[in-house]
Amino acid sequence: MDAELVLDGLTKRFGPVAAVDGVSLEVAPGEFVCVLGPSGCGKTTLLRLIAGFEAPTAGAIYYRGAPVHHLPPQERNFGIVFQSYALFPHMTVWDNVAFGLRVRRLPAVTVRARVAEMLALVGLEHAARLYPSQLSGGMQQRVALARALAVQPRVLLLDEPLSALDAKIRVRLRAEIRRIQRELGVTVLYVTHDQEEALSIADRLVVMWQGRVQQVGPPLEVYTRPATPFVADFVGTTNLLRAEVGEDGGVRWGDVLLEVASPLLPAGPVLLAVRPERLRLVDGVAASQRNCVAGVVEAWTFFGPYVRLHVSANGELLAVDVPQEVLADAGLQRHAPVTVHVPPEAVLVFPGRP
Amino acid sequence: MSAPPAALQVPVPRRWTARDLWTTRVTTGVLLLAFAVFVLYPLLEIVARSFWKSGAFSWEHYVEFLQEPKLFQTVWNSLVVSSLSTVLTVVLAFGYAYVLTHTRLWGRSFLWLVGLLPLIAPSFVQALGLIFLFGRNGLVTRTLLGLDWNVYGPVGIVLGEVFYCFPHALLVLYTSLSAVDASLYEAAQSLGARGWRVFWWVTVPSVRYAVAAASFLVFNLVVTDFGTPVVVGGDYRVLATEIYTQVFGLQRFSMAAVVSVALLVPALASFGLDGYFRRKAAATLTGQSRPYAYSPRGWGRLAAGAFAWGWAGFVLLVYGTLAAASLVRVWGYDWTLTLAHYRFDAVGVREVLLRGLQLSGLAALCGALLSVVVAYVVHRLRPWGARLLYALAVLPAAVPGTVVGLGYLFAFNKPPLVLVGTAGIIVLSYVFRFVTLGTLAASAALQQVDRSVEEAAQSLGASAVRTFVQVVFPLLRVAFFSSAVYIFVRSMVTLSAVIFLIAPGLELPATAVLTLTTDGKLSGAAALSTLLVAVIGLVVAAARVVLRVPVVFR
Repeated sequence: MDAELVLDGLTKRFGPVAAVDGVSLEVAPGEFVCVLGPSGCGKTTLLRLIAGFEAPTAGAIYYRGAPVHHLPPQERNFGIVFQSYALFPHMTVWDNVAFGLRVRRLPAVTVRARVAEMLALVGLEHAARLYPSQLSGGMQQRVALARALAVQPRVLLLDEPLSALDAKIRVRLRAEIRRIQRELGVTVLYVTHDQEEALSIADRLVVMWQGRVQQVGPPLEVYTRPATPFVADFVGTTNLLRAEVGEDGGVRWGDVLLEVASPLLPAGPVLLAVRPERLRLVDGVAASQRNCVAGVVEAWTFFGPYVRLHVSANGELLAVDVPQEVLADAGLQRHAPVTVHVPPEAVLVFPGRP
Repeated sequence: MSAPPAALQVPVPRRWTARDLWTTRVTTGVLLLAFAVFVLYPLLEIVARSFWKSGAFSWEHYVEFLQEPKLFQTVWNSLVVSSLSTVLTVVLAFGYAYVLTHTRLWGRSFLWLVGLLPLIAPSFVQALGLIFLFGRNGLVTRTLLGLDWNVYGPVGIVLGEVFYCFPHALLVLYTSLSAVDASLYEAAQSLGARGWRVFWWVTVPSVRYAVAAASFLVFNLVVTDFGTPVVVGGDYRVLATEIYTQVFGLQRFSMAAVVSVALLVPALASFGLDGYFRRKAAATLTGQSRPYAYSPRGWGRLAAGAFAWGWAGFVLLVYGTLAAASLVRVWGYDWTLTLAHYRFDAVGVREVLLRGLQLSGLAALCGALLSVVVAYVVHRLRPWGARLLYALAVLPAAVPGTVVGLGYLFAFNKPPLVLVGTAGIIVLSYVFRFVTLGTLAASAALQQVDRSVEEAAQSLGASAVRTFVQVVFPLLRVAFFSSAVYIFVRSMVTLSAVIFLIAPGLELPATAVLTLTTDGKLSGAAALSTLLVAVIGLVVAAARVVLRVPVVFR
């Protein structure tokens, strides 16, 4: 299948700073791609480059094989939805949605039909005559979505569209965005810093850090097999442990010799990454078993269905997730001694140290 | 990958379509040309004239200027009255602003309105009021005290200027004083400081840049003012009036040019320093502050009240005197009430007022539109030459009105542009003199507009023109209307530039007042002034009520 949108070595420098540094990506038609990264990682700049609001310092953007990075935003026909909604405050909802259609000088009948269709799609038929200031944030963002989709854009770009909304509305609206995207089959590039949002909505994730792409892949793959310690740490929660590979190939975390499921490793310093939910508490008697380490509960955080214990072991603070009833059953106290089992297949090994 | 390799670089990326770039360039070109013709060209004409003698470059006019004691004296006179007026105005306005911001004195909103009242009056109106109080037949000087002394001369100029400039200084100082955060005072007091110590340690350092800005602003206003000295100056000659005298009294056009250059120096310098300190003051403002106000007790309360109400009373007395003088038969001799002065037999006042309203109204609409377009071009389209355009839009506020008038007289009285004697040149002089504040207001408003709103329009395919007309302009509506009101008021009250440009049959309200004054028909002048202030006040009030537009001044 031919790629719909191709980014090739896209770079944007602001003075000496490279906000976007050699980003290459291929997006398939109808694909929902999430660009995920902490604030300041360059993801918004990347989106603005694609939309045409910034000119790239180097690199190229292709739509169906044809270069578009030299075109002004007006001629790209990429729809965009902003975090701030960016609705025209002096126009009604109806006029907002009709704006792009009128720019294209479509006949009034077509405009009316299309606006009605779009308002129905986002469930705002009843609000057509209202002004943006009379709507809630969630409704405003749905108007922005309808406005961007009305002109049948080649690609829909969303720049943190839900960041300004309440948690509950955020979850509802993101499901709605996904439904509409499937219904219309539109290609979407969605920028967010919220990893839960990204994991739940995307076909594919692009994790960015310091202007560079760290990893591209389906959410499950990015979560279970992070390519770098940064990805492991940023997507979900991870225990990052400093360890050493000896001449014999054994992985030594402090005094503890850990068995890992990785192939043979060269000697030298490594970083180990273990998800908190993969760690297990085992009975004290098993402490002498392999891959077990003794520790002390320092504190815990209650998350509802599970509890995250902060266990100091081997000179580091380990996050260990246990089901909520374990805490109650075991009657754990602060400073209670525990034994943590590290399953070999749960350990990811990254050579070197950042 | 189906895409060609990256090495195949396509032409320079751009943010606007080819058509947008073309319209932007044409618009910028037209604007630059307009500002060059109506702002720079007249100034250059003056400078050229001052150095031109029988077809060659020469210093001779300047030598003449320096050797003629009476002429050189005007420089000194201007500096003296400007400095004195500046000190007095800033001290009074500071006290007034302090009372309004830092105390809970009764009637503060009324005091605020009275303090700003002179903004809608031509500068000579307060001078006229002073003449009725302290002139040869003044109520105070002759009728009550039987004195021989009168206010004509430097004392009259300084008094009139203090009245005229007071609200301008008040606006700057009020903004700054109300931005001093209460927590600073509370901190100082909790550390044991009280009274004057708090004033010197907290208040003064917080507002020092604003005081400097207000001082240079007032100096600029006084040194460039024409209306006050021409009405109440008597034999005391200052630079702004000297230009007029040289042209209309003596027909010495080159000397008028030299005097203009001499006036431009302090005017530009004080304007530049005003802007410098204003930026400094703005930089010290924090986003939010809690105003500090206390209820003074005992002597402090008495002093604050006496001062603020005293000044307000004085302002009202001057305007009240003016209105009263227009309603009695002969001021000082025959106190019978009459409406005779409102007949204006000589000047055809209805046509004059109507003409003033029409020309000022036209200038207000054109000027406000120009301001918004300039702001959009400079801040959003940012073509080549944007900075120059912005500089040219800010410059006019620095140029004295008399200099503008003389420059227009030089520049547009000969080919290629013969405009003197038409109503058009009057409107143009209004537009290009008062476009500065409009541009500043529109620029400030534009900074408040979320850029992504325009970007949304752009990505939906809207051109630069459509984005401006359908998105940006509606969002700058308030700035547009408040600029229009400002330009209207300033056009109605200005005298200095148009005095050079009016022709028979083209008299304006302000020039008609001056004509009546110089003809000795002071009661008629008072009547016309009262009418003028009333009309402007009505228009401003209507704008506030109908358009819900806050009126801004500088």
